[in-house]
Amino acid sequence: MGLNLETTIGRLKLKNPVLVASGTFGHAREFEKIIDLKRLGGIVTKTITLKPRLGNPPVRIVETPAGMLNAIGLQNPGVEKFIGEKLPYLRKIGIPIIVSVMGHSVEEFVKVVGRLESEKGFDGYELNLSCPNVRYGASATKTSARMFAHDAVMIKEVVSAVRKMTQKTLIAKLGPDVSDIGAMALAAEEAGADAVSLINTFVAMAIDVEKRRPVLGNITGGLSGPCVRPIAVRMTWEVHKRVKIPLLGMGGIMDARDALEFLIAGASAIQVGTANFMNPRASVEILEGLRAFMKKEKIGRIQNLIGSLNSDE
Amino acid sequence: MHRKRCLIVENKKTAPGHWVMKLRCPEIARAAAPGQFVQILCADTLDPLLPRPFSFLTADSKDISILYQVVGKGTKILAALKRGENLWVLGPLGNGFSICHLSTDYLLVGGGVGIPPLYHLARTFIHKNKYSPADIHVFLGARNKSLLLCEKDFKKLGVSVYVATDDGSKGHKGFVTELLLDRTASVGRKVYRTRSANIYACGPTPMLKTVSALAQKYDIPCEVSVEVPMACGFGACLGCAVKVRGWKLEAGSKAPNCRFAIGCVEGPVFQAKELVWD
Repeated sequence: MGLNLETTIGRLKLKNPVLVASGTFGHAREFEKIIDLKRLGGIVTKTITLKPRLGNPPVRIVETPAGMLNAIGLQNPGVEKFIGEKLPYLRKIGIPIIVSVMGHSVEEFVKVVGRLESEKGFDGYELNLSCPNVRYGASATKTSARMFAHDAVMIKEVVSAVRKMTQKTLIAKLGPDVSDIGAMALAAEEAGADAVSLINTFVAMAIDVEKRRPVLGNITGGLSGPCVRPIAVRMTWEVHKRVKIPLLGMGGIMDARDALEFLIAGASAIQVGTANFMNPRASVEILEGLRAFMKKEKIGRIQNLIGSLNSDE
Repeated sequence: MHRKRCLIVENKKTAPGHWVMKLRCPEIARAAAPGQFVQILCADTLDPLLPRPFSFLTADSKDISILYQVVGKGTKILAALKRGENLWVLGPLGNGFSICHLSTDYLLVGGGVGIPPLYHLARTFIHKNKYSPADIHVFLGARNKSLLLCEKDFKKLGVSVYVATDDGSKGHKGFVTELLLDRTASVGRKVYRTRSANIYACGPTPMLKTVSALAQKYDIPCEVSVEVPMACGFGACLGCAVKVRGWKLEAGSKAPNCRFAIGCVEGPVFQAKELVWD
């Protein structure tokens, strides 16, 4: 039986719904020796900012039960070096490349995307509106929100400003620390986003009890891993009911069954994140697992699974 | 970089709280260089979640061995495993010690559980590079006699071994760096002007800091292997930041010229002069 795993995100056709999440896959080269990158549905790059960022001081990583906290602080070479040093390699892989971008202000988002627009060889943007580990500038704090993703008005401002600049697929990445994730997704949709990615990490904290000090150099970090998955599935389901644009679901996906939960809840594609750290082959193993499940359940098209939740609601 | 399901050939206690595990993985063993490491998933469950990094104690054509201290959740699970069980191993990873052929004296300085990679280095020097054991001087430090790792193994290689313990239960009472200072101060001034030397160190941060300062004072090239918490081990997560000398972020900025190197790929072995100690 020929299986059809094709899925669509905005203007982008993906040959399968398995992508890798920003910040967990470097700029892909780190994985070339261990997986065939061409098999992936797409790659979301490490977030790029206008200027290089050193990142946060150590400690940046701490393991927690069935999860981890990270406070990397968006260490990246800046958009110029990304274009010069990273993009040529990504371009050659031959699969959809989504560049994750972040600005400390609306103006900075516009500048980063403006610079990238003059380059070829990638297919879309994921706007990182929800990094928990960086400080945002004046335009982000005027509403006292901790990040863009915490405020529907700010989400609209960023998305509509970037929308005016690009015809490429535009994805807004939402953070989970909000009272109504559906409202945030709706704001992104109304402002012209082609899709939303959810969820980014939860703002969280670990304490060294002997030292009475935070474990992380940044004090707080982002919680990810299988411990957050049920919340991410619930949010995917909620957002699916609220918006018409496609969703990229993520949050602690470790295997194909986890990925299926997101697809059934309504995600058109999924992103593998923390699992890449435990097993660099996780993404392709998840893809193989999805195929095996479809064969077993006699489902020819992955589209028949997406949003297929039977509930008595 | 290989990812293999590896058979545990041996797992035995060699000192209080310290174990040696031997794993069958020819691909990794053949590629392993001293100072490099493997990432081991201690369990097939989700807690503990992340793999743990271990440097090589030995690597031959078939097997690798690691020497680990039981310190937490992961290593506790490892210590309970039996011969015949299997583990996921990823490696070899990172940037190891450089084998400097110009050097004629090799000063290896290890503290505590930082000693194993130096044993791999000494073995490689002698067996692979055919260096004379007479040129290799090993300085070992531990809290006490029973925690002194690999001393006999080094002696079997025929190298000179100098020992320091915190409580004086064996060798010099005090820090291993004091023994290194003795040698570099007495021999150093006379010898190391005309004869080159290299220092290789792995151990607790205060020890590495002192060794680096000493190396700088006597102008001896020095490589240190640092320990830093990490997640992936191959440069994807950027979690294992190590402060090193580097470029200015912005022209005219008052911030010091430093950057965060990624410990798992640029390290874990660094040139001591590159490191910025806080």
